[in-house]
Amino acid sequence: MLLDVKNDIREIDRVFTCIKEFCCANDISEKKCFDILIIIDELATNIISYAFDDGQEHTFTIMIEKENELVHIQLLDAGIPFDPLKKTEPNTDASLESRKVGGLGIFFVKQLSQLVTYARIDGKNQLDIFVSLKEEG
Amino acid sequence: MEITVKKDSDITIVYPVGRIDTSTAKNFEEGIMKVIQDSQQVIISFSNISYISSAGLRVILVAGKKISSMKGQLVLTEMSEKIHDVFKMSGFDKILKIYPTFSEARGVFDK
Repeated sequence: MLLDVKNDIREIDRVFTCIKEFCCANDISEKKCFDILIIIDELATNIISYAFDDGQEHTFTIMIEKENELVHIQLLDAGIPFDPLKKTEPNTDASLESRKVGGLGIFFVKQLSQLVTYARIDGKNQLDIFVSLKEEG
Repeated sequence: MEITVKKDSDITIVYPVGRIDTSTAKNFEEGIMKVIQDSQQVIISFSNISYISSAGLRVILVAGKKISSMKGQLVLTEMSEKIHDVFKMSGFDKILKIYPTFSEARGVFDK
């Protein structure tokens, strides 16, 4: 499935509906669908919020496909070059008072996937995420 | 985002409804901050929450810090398994009070 998404936060609603339909059609469990929604939400929200700084309307794409026991997600945007994997990870052992706000989104993406890769190709940020459909424990 | 607020003596119980993501987090934050102005004994029930992203966790963390600095208490309760998983993944289960049932959450304030 390929989705064209505008850089408008209201698009997230439609993205949720489409991803849920995809999960349903591919017999992906509700639990795994939740993980996939978090991954796509966090990354798409980043693109919508930060990739374009000219105030104009832009479109980026979200591709999702099932390959046997893996789900492959790809986000492509022609925004500012940005490798989210370079962000420092939050300290999940910090106390309430010292815990920093933010940085969790990418951390969630890494935690919930088997593999995340970033590349800048032909003027586009390309993120590829692979999620295992095998249920743990 | 729809937020229902109930009072039980000096405790305020907050029931957000739906999804807490970037598109609803601002609204959720405004609602919570308004509650904290009047009451620092707060329970947030997740019984009507189907989804939370890092944007939602950010609001919970900000609220937790604020309430803690005012010597109040924030207790979270009635999370679905997946919502609880997100809190565990973030390490927030170690810094915030989370109880499975409402009566356990309510009991914290009787001590």
